[in-house]
Amino acid sequence: MKHPQKPVRETDTKIRPTGWQILCIALFLFYMLLPIVSTYAFSVATRWDRTILPEGYTLEFYIRAFQTSYFTITLRNSLILSVATIVVSLIVIVPTVYWVHTRLIGLKPWLDVLMILPFGIPTVVLALALVQVYNFPPIARSPILLIGAVVVYSMPFMYRPVSNALQAIDALTLTEAGQILGANVFQVLSKIIIPNILPGILSGTLLVFSTVFAEYTLTSLIVGAGFKTFPLLLVEYTRINGNIAAAFSVVSFTIAWLFSILILWGGSKGQNASAETIQAR
Amino acid sequence: MSYLELKNVSKFYSGVVAVQDFNLEIDKGSLVSFLGPSGCGKTTTLRMIAGFGRLDEGTILLDGEDITDVPPNRRDIGMVFQAYALFPNMTVQGNIGFGLLMKKTPKKEIKKKVDHVLELVRLQDTAKRFPHQLSGGQQQRIALARALAVQPRVLLLDEPLSALDAEVRVVLRGEIRRIQSELAITTVYVTHDQEEALSISDKVVVMNKGVIEQVGIPEEIYRAPKTHFVATFIGTANQFLGKVSGTNTVMCNHFHLLVDDLKGFNEGQRAVVLVRPETIQVQPDPPERKGWNIIPGEVETITFHGAVTRLGVNIYGQRVAADITVAHTKSISLNQKIWLLFSPDACQVMAVDEE
Repeated sequence: MKHPQKPVRETDTKIRPTGWQILCIALFLFYMLLPIVSTYAFSVATRWDRTILPEGYTLEFYIRAFQTSYFTITLRNSLILSVATIVVSLIVIVPTVYWVHTRLIGLKPWLDVLMILPFGIPTVVLALALVQVYNFPPIARSPILLIGAVVVYSMPFMYRPVSNALQAIDALTLTEAGQILGANVFQVLSKIIIPNILPGILSGTLLVFSTVFAEYTLTSLIVGAGFKTFPLLLVEYTRINGNIAAAFSVVSFTIAWLFSILILWGGSKGQNASAETIQAR
Repeated sequence: MSYLELKNVSKFYSGVVAVQDFNLEIDKGSLVSFLGPSGCGKTTTLRMIAGFGRLDEGTILLDGEDITDVPPNRRDIGMVFQAYALFPNMTVQGNIGFGLLMKKTPKKEIKKKVDHVLELVRLQDTAKRFPHQLSGGQQQRIALARALAVQPRVLLLDEPLSALDAEVRVVLRGEIRRIQSELAITTVYVTHDQEEALSISDKVVVMNKGVIEQVGIPEEIYRAPKTHFVATFIGTANQFLGKVSGTNTVMCNHFHLLVDDLKGFNEGQRAVVLVRPETIQVQPDPPERKGWNIIPGEVETITFHGAVTRLGVNIYGQRVAADITVAHTKSISLNQKIWLLFSPDACQVMAVDEE
């Protein structure tokens, strides 16, 4: 029997998830977290092919991972590649997007299309084409060519957030307001535009970092063993020892997360101000 | 003596006229409004004074100096934007001090000047707040303070009130005028709101399709419009088309109108007679007034406007607007037959724009 007139209390007005919603969210979390949790577990498991849970736990694989001769070099190379890509991206993209937003507004749709292209071109094709075109020293098969390729490949990840942030603050009017108050282009950029689009720059930086840090195809095809990065080492070890490969993955995750926290923390001051800006809108 | 001078200024956007042959002299310390419908070139002209957008022809002189090719950051001009354009990452203090900082003013002096302009716009207690913590009206006051802090040679206002509520708009335009006269700062004010332009300006420049239609004091613009456009754009005007006949009559289709002056018109020339609604009297009985225009009609609409009530009267198929004061309203009802009554000097005769 149902109660036709259930008294409505104030607490009932709170939105509560229905059973279906909880189930969907749980499934989603399970789907997303299972591989990560398994990787973590596999990196410390002694044997895990006959039971549901590992038979025993050990840190042996981490010790062996850290002892790998290429461990520090590949890690260093990956960090060099990521940071260099971020620096080049910031220098190339931020001023360009700003310029298009304020001076060459008609070119914006073209740039938007151009920024989808890296998604459309298979990385293998991009790598092989670049290797063929830039086949002269000192660029041929060099880290420089790799950085160039990775910048192109990760460009949309920097472009989108920065472009959206510029759109949100009405960059043109702010620029004019700065100019009429006596600021030159550099002052407008450094004191007005960049502080206000910092959240966009930060999320672009994060996206580029996580993409480049895990980049495999371009690195493998353009430089190969000449400039071994961490993902190359990782893939190499999946063929040698799965547990050590899992330990490498955990190291990779951890570095990516630490770096993310570092970037967010570094930019938190500016972001607070900008978050308030966005709130205001 | 003219302080800001625009000489033969023209601007084209891919061949289309935005502003053409614009000539204007603005006196030191006066407030001049550019008034016109959207797309008339008023904002384009203002932006050229600021240094945004190059001139295709002409020169701009400020205090005798040719500033045509001087970039905006070296013009010493203050500007208030329609969308406030306060810097979201800076406090009110930071915003107002920005221009002074760019001029390398010592910190102590910046503080003093910021306080001074904040007092001027009556928002002393907001110095530490961020723009988003202020209302629209307050933000625009801060934008005004920011423009004034650097003591610019000219102050430009680009539709500064159009994003605000009606009530705030009226208060703030009074404030702008007060501050402008207090500082005696040469000001150019762009608006599409005629009431705004007429109420605060020393001089109004009415623009249409990139050219100046008329320049004059607000009274002149309203009472003695020089062109058909000005007459119809400013206030409401009833229009009667007809042909000139004799020295003081315009023959319309169903009636003739007695007018004051037909100098410069030829016999039989097509002309339009303009009559403002507030100059028309309405009477329920046939009036007898010699030498006045008397036209019968029927009340079709009655709209209450507060101080006055506007009647829509059908005379021979044409809708005519007439304003009556509240005291008279009771005696008028819908569909009532009434008589319109107005003197010849209420009639403005214009040549018909041949288009």
